[in-house]
Amino acid sequence: MKTILVLGLLTIGLLFPANSIAQSLPSGKNIADNTYARNEGISLNRTLTMELKDKRGKTRIRKTTSLRKYFGDEKRLAIFYLTPKSVMGTAFLTYDYPDASVDDDQWLYMPALRKTRRISASNRGDYFLGTDLTYEDIKLETRISKDDYNYKTIGLETVDGKTCYVLDGTPKNNTIAKELGYSKVKLWVDTNIWMLRKAESWDVAGNHLKTTLISDIKKVQGIWTYHKIEVKNHKTNHETIFRISDVDYKTELNDDVFTKETLVNGL
Amino acid sequence: MSLRYSVFMILLCFFLGVHGQEKQNKFKKSFKASLVIDSDFSYEFKSEKSQKSEVILKPEFSYKLNRNSKFILKGQLYTDFSDNLEVGVPKEETVSNFSKRLFIGDRTSLELREFYFHTKIQKKLDLTIGKQQIVWGETDGLKLLDVVNPQNFREFILDDFEDSRIPLWSLKAEFDIKSIDIQIVWIPDNTYHITQGFDAPFFTKSLFKSPPEGVQSTLNEVKRPKRFFADSDVGFKLNTFNKGWDVSLNYFYYFDDLPVFYNKLQFNENNDPLIVINPKFERQHLLGGTFNKVFGSSTFRGEIAYIFNQNFASNKPEANLGIETSDQFKSAIGIDYIKGEHIISAQLFSDIITHDISPYNRDIFETNISLKVSQEMMNDNLNSEVIWVHNANHGDGYIKPQISYWLNTNTQLFLGSSIFYGNETNLFGQFKDRSRTSLGMRWGI
Repeated sequence: MKTILVLGLLTIGLLFPANSIAQSLPSGKNIADNTYARNEGISLNRTLTMELKDKRGKTRIRKTTSLRKYFGDEKRLAIFYLTPKSVMGTAFLTYDYPDASVDDDQWLYMPALRKTRRISASNRGDYFLGTDLTYEDIKLETRISKDDYNYKTIGLETVDGKTCYVLDGTPKNNTIAKELGYSKVKLWVDTNIWMLRKAESWDVAGNHLKTTLISDIKKVQGIWTYHKIEVKNHKTNHETIFRISDVDYKTELNDDVFTKETLVNGL
Repeated sequence: MSLRYSVFMILLCFFLGVHGQEKQNKFKKSFKASLVIDSDFSYEFKSEKSQKSEVILKPEFSYKLNRNSKFILKGQLYTDFSDNLEVGVPKEETVSNFSKRLFIGDRTSLELREFYFHTKIQKKLDLTIGKQQIVWGETDGLKLLDVVNPQNFREFILDDFEDSRIPLWSLKAEFDIKSIDIQIVWIPDNTYHITQGFDAPFFTKSLFKSPPEGVQSTLNEVKRPKRFFADSDVGFKLNTFNKGWDVSLNYFYYFDDLPVFYNKLQFNENNDPLIVINPKFERQHLLGGTFNKVFGSSTFRGEIAYIFNQNFASNKPEANLGIETSDQFKSAIGIDYIKGEHIISAQLFSDIITHDISPYNRDIFETNISLKVSQEMMNDNLNSEVIWVHNANHGDGYIKPQISYWLNTNTQLFLGSSIFYGNETNLFGQFKDRSRTSLGMRWGI
């Protein structure tokens, strides 16, 4: 019996040499590249509702129209607030340049002042308009950064019934860590559609900071689209739920939607 | 026959019903209505009484004809239960008939704030026609280029500019030539600043030269330009964005929104001296520009304005009708530093009279500084900010601390103070008795 067990283990050892599972997994860079290669359409029009929930359960809801369009490799994103009515008209515009060394350009239109303010994009780790996602998180849109982290693919796990690559990411240096506000991330990327399904992050001091879950992923007009993002901040116990609806990739957006004039004039 | 007729009628009714339903659905999708209610109760420290108890209802309606065209209507029902800031029914001599408010008793007024049609023609030309606000410039707190629309000085500069700015019937056209955005404005609405009477809390006495003691004065009715075309204001703004620099060039040919108070000494029938003041609006040219660029965590911004032939009340006894004229150069540089939830914004304003004149109650070279420190807390639930504006020449200014809190999705609470300091002959110092604390609520649906 003992001999059979040893022979069995030897056979398994010959068939599946040590580390072979890890070696067969794609590299972090490869996975990151695939998240970027995912089809996102040229232009996108959607309703984005943000539900902000504090630790006492008090909830504030912000409804926006979110528009995105690629101009070659450059991505432009505009968000127009629809509710609450007292901040209706607030609008945010960002130009995301393909060259990572070039800072994005960002503008915020404040209807109470009727003025458009330039916003520094260098603080990419700042939280986006009261939510639990940072400007950088918003910009990545379920892709994983190609330039900021050293990744290690550590295995396969199931999230929401789907198989995902699990990656550990550490910022390439302290400056990047401080900019992003994270000292470490753990990411779950769908092996089939190359979309982030779950993320855990730790702050610069090493404390567990946030859990992000991306769900309700389905094809819209042939393009894999997420419809819900839940972010829980473990330090503040604040929670943000992003709900995406009325997704439209087909109606081409005019270029001039992504201008300061449209921020002022509205949609 | 009757069966055929019945089937035909049923089909017709069905079609009309569906079509009617479609129309109704389309209307529902295109039409949007909202309401914001602002209330503000301010307590004046000096007089120990209410300075204002206002409630403002701001309904807004929009109707989208299609992807490129929409109508916007914004109304306002304003009530000040204290009837203190604008006592009784103001005459509104400086307001055109098309822009006057409708007063219901002494405390309440109805106003068509904005009513315009916006359309995009062949994706190349944006037109906005109707009553609207057009805002130029980069500065906060003090205005250099934001002179397209006049202002109601009911609360001096304490009111939100959004509320104190007077929308005008005008046309705004916007189009691009290569990488330059061009905006052209035409404003036939002859409405100018609403300033307050001698007895109002925020009467700006520092602008007016008092007659010598024992000499009476008469203020005649202001002469307001009234010709539709000839007295229109026109201007343009060119804007471009290149290599991170956002730059604009502005030109405006307009009537100054404050009249020139021409005055002369006369003698009445008893041979007593009498100063007769004849206010009149005068034309001006303004040439200006703005720039901004982001450096790291900071945005560097600036604004300049050169005004040709600005009129000033004069200290010189020999000045013609008490007025001297000079060009005026105004500039502002500012820096906004944003780090996390903190914003620090500092501005330096300069104002130079270029000619050798003796202006009343101001220096040839004046400097103002402003500082704004703001912090968002609890995921933008709570905001605290302090704004400080200070005139370096005269040592007067004001400080405005405020906190605001989102009670729920639709309701925001405000608590703040406005504290003026300085000599009462100066622009800000004259209002030191008007210092106040305010409690407000904004609710919208």
